[in-house]
Order: sequence, then structure tokens, then C-alpha cells
Amino acid sequence: MYGSASTHDLPTTALTGLENEDPILLAEFEARINRGEKIEPGDWMPALYRKQLTRMIEQHAHSEIIGSLPEGTWITRAPGFRRKMAQMAKVQDEVGHAQLLYSAAETLGKTREEMLTDLINGKSKYSNVFNYPTPTWADSNVISWLIDAGAIVNQLANAKGSYGPYCRALDRICAEEAFHLKYGHDAVVHMATGTPIQRKMMQEALNRWWPAIMTFFGPSDKMSVHTEILMRWKVKMASNDECRNQFLDMYVPKILEIGLTLPDANLRKNEETGQWEFTEPDWEDFKRVINGDGPCNAERIAVRRAAEENGAWVRRALLTPKAQYVRPLA
Amino acid sequence: MIQSHDPRMNRLGLPDAPATAAAKGALDQFGTYEAFHQKKEGAPFVYVGPVHAPEADVAFLFAKEQYSRRFACTGLWVVPTAAITVTDYVGDQEWAYDSLPLLTNQQAAATAPPAGPRSGDDTAAEAAYAAGEEDYDIFHLKKRGKAHQHVGKVRASSPAQALQVAKAVFSDQRPVVNVWAARSADFLRSDDGDRDIWTTTPEKKYRDAISYKVQDRIERFKAETGTSQAD
Repeated sequence: MYGSASTHDLPTTALTGLENEDPILLAEFEARINRGEKIEPGDWMPALYRKQLTRMIEQHAHSEIIGSLPEGTWITRAPGFRRKMAQMAKVQDEVGHAQLLYSAAETLGKTREEMLTDLINGKSKYSNVFNYPTPTWADSNVISWLIDAGAIVNQLANAKGSYGPYCRALDRICAEEAFHLKYGHDAVVHMATGTPIQRKMMQEALNRWWPAIMTFFGPSDKMSVHTEILMRWKVKMASNDECRNQFLDMYVPKILEIGLTLPDANLRKNEETGQWEFTEPDWEDFKRVINGDGPCNAERIAVRRAAEENGAWVRRALLTPKAQYVRPLA
Repeated sequence: MIQSHDPRMNRLGLPDAPATAAAKGALDQFGTYEAFHQKKEGAPFVYVGPVHAPEADVAFLFAKEQYSRRFACTGLWVVPTAAITVTDYVGDQEWAYDSLPLLTNQQAAATAPPAGPRSGDDTAAEAAYAAGEEDYDIFHLKKRGKAHQHVGKVRASSPAQALQVAKAVFSDQRPVVNVWAARSADFLRSDDGDRDIWTTTPEKKYRDAISYKVQDRIERFKAETGTSQAD
């Protein structure tokens, strides 16, 4: 599970257009959500709800499929047979999660062909952390543990959202995910409590990944204020800062207890407010990387695209002339 | 050329800045099938989700991998999405069959359901099949956000009639938020002989969270290093 759905919200200019919706249908739609009922594909929904959900679920799907690459890199070099099997099973899960999420997004009207075209042409975003490399096995472990942990914070919240197909996909994803976090924790603990060389390798990997981890939940709430309607419609279930704070609460103690340090001298919990304080991430750098200028953007897209192109003849050969496209049901 | 930490990527010799890829054509990803699984012997089949596949055998294979790879499973069905007839969705406290068109008394009498389970030597049933009636599988969604569940079969001459028959047969089941009906002949189903495709699932312990006993190692580490380590 890799989704950080809150990272790339619609620009504020897009959060309009409600005045064009039928007020009665809109009121019924909101009443259903207020009653705690889920929205299903056959229901009327505001164009903005459809647009934002499509965008969010599609980005989550892309994050799963692209996120499997930096860990997939290490399958052939994972230390030991058991870890190789586990790493492979985890990566297979992530690719499966992409399939589940593409299907959930498809129920909203965007075809898988359109989503994959947008991905390989760099038009759609995915979680920005995967634009960074995994130069060592320890880097792969940091993803398995802490990126997955961050994603779980997000996904457990989103599984309580309002759109039925997304909830069903997330329930299955969370169930499959249970072992990922333990597997990642186990791998990190093994290195951090190992030989001096192993400890050093793990500490360096953590130092490399920490700035990216701090951006994982997206910009501070102060910087992205237009989420009110998305919260009301239960598209977004927790703010970026709430998710980040919860993550820090849960994982900073686990990182420190195995003798690792965090590369931010300002990181501390304010016991009065209950909020973590930290050095503000470099959001300009974040923007630069997410817009294409990161260390691995080109590689991620190129690899995905090569897979698409190399498989094209197989898909053409299998296509039956009488096939017809019907949107998946749920 | 793309330079990666992964030697396999480097061997592909991928260009740095490829031209924009052409938009994928319609059906590049095939049509969809809907998949249902059975968690254990005797349990009803429950909807798990769609797969994209060029035909039913491949759909079954993909569904097996996608939906029964990780957890216990004793049966799997796939059916083309287009083969399913869907009612309107209604509220969580309502009954989806109420949204079907109302029948005249005469029509209602004509769709009177065969009571109880059908059997092969039922002469009325034989005559009905001979006259073009077929079995339909019926699925109910009991609550929005949950999954459709198989409730049984009915015999009818069209999907619309199948829903009307189901309305009478399953009249005691409430609430029902949504109903799916599909011709039984359109399903590809696992049979008992297929069970062994799932026998190795529990052996793959490295996929169980419980296999990772990390706390022991943390405690040992803390004991060895003392509390000063974290400072």
C-alpha cells in the first residue's frame, strides 16, 4: 500500500462549478453521505465529486504500480531466500492493489486505457516519494516499513470514505497489507541491531528518505485550505497535518528505540499542543520533483512504458473482434 | 539512456526522453468480467471485484491470482460484466425490488416462481426449459459499501423476468440495496477438482504478519545496549 492521496489535490480554481448542479439532487446526495450511507456507481453525484475521486483513486493506482518499482529492483538481490520470497510477494501485492484501484476508478467513467496513457505520458501524478532511488537494500527496507506505514495511516482513514468501490478496494488492500508493515519493520530492525556496517547502512538510508517521508502527506493545512467541501463529502477523511502528526506519534518512538536517529534537529513533540514540530520541508523542491525534475522520474515512466509497449503485441493477439467495453459494476 | 540502480533496467537501453506515446486504443485492456469467491465450504459466493481479460478462461486465471492469492478460498466464479442485469440502487433501509416496473396481475401470475429447490425430474421445469426458460443467478447487496452476495437461482425467459421472479422468491429478504441477475450459463465456475489450486496458500508463511517476531530482537537489543542508546 503506497497511496498518499492527499498529496496532489485539485488546484483551488477547480473547486467550483457547484452552482451548476441541480440543488435538489445535490441536497439528496449530501443527505445520503450525512446518514453514513455510501455512494455507489449508479447514483447521481456532483461533477466535482466524480472528478476529484477519479483523480485521487487514479493517482493512488499509479502510486501502487510505480511504487512497486524501487522495491522490485531489490528482488533479485534480497539477502536470503525467505526475504526474496517475501519481497516478491509484497511487490505482487502492490501491483494487485493497482489493479483493484484502476477498477474502482473505472466505475467513475475513466477507462483503464485512458489512465495508463496518462501515466506513461507523464500527465498523471503518483506519490512523489517514488521519484527517489533505492541505492541500497536498506533503502528498500525504509520504503517497506515507513512509506507503507504512512500509506496505512492515509488508507485506514480513506476506507471510511463515502465511495463504495473505493472502500471495497481499500478494505481488501488493508487486509493484504497486514504483513507488509511487519515485514518492513523486521527488515529495518535486523539491520539497525546488526553489525556496525549494517547499522551505518540503515542510518544512511533513513537520512536519505526522511525529507521525502515528511512530504508524503502533502503540504501543511495552512497551505491547502480548500479541502472543506472534500471533507464534507467524505472524499478526504483527515487533513494532511492530522495524518502526518499521527504518523510521527506512531513511528518516531519505534525508530528511536532501535538506536537510529532522525536527521532533523528541530523534530520534537510539543506536549502542550500534542503537535509535532519539525523543520518545514522544502516545498519548492517537492514541486520541482513532482513536476518531472527528480532523480528517477524519467526512469519510472520509461520502465512502465517499456512494459506497456513490450506487451502490446500479446494484447493485440488476444483481443477478440466481438469484444465490447462495459464499465465494471462495482 | 536511462541509468538505473537496477542492472535489468540498464540492459533495456531505455531512451531518456521518448516521444509522447500514442493514446491506447479501445479495448487495449480488454473487456471486464466480475468475480465472486467462496471463502469456505458451504458459504455463499460473494462479489470480490472485476478483472480485465480477453476471454473467460483468462478471466478465471486472473481472478484466481487477484482475489484468491492471499487468503483461504474454496470456489471462484467469473461472468462477463455485460451479462449482468443491474437494478437501481436504493437507500440502506429500502428494498431494490420496489424499483422494478410493476406487473399486471396476469403478468404476476405468469412469473409465479417454482417453489423450493428445482430437481431434474420436475416435469414442469423440464417443459419450461424446453420452452426457452433458463436459470439465472441472483445476487443481493444488503448495505451500500459492502459486497453483493449470491442468494440463489431462479428460472426465467429473460433478465427482466428473472428479476421479477426473484422479487417473489426472495420477498422475505430485506433490506436489499441492489440486485444483480445473470444467466447461469454465462458463468465460468471452479469445480471440486479445481480445489488444489488453493492448497498451498497457507504454506506461504512469509506473507503472514504473525511470522515476523521482531519484538524479541528489539528487546535483546535494548538489553545489550542499555537505555542510553536512544539518546
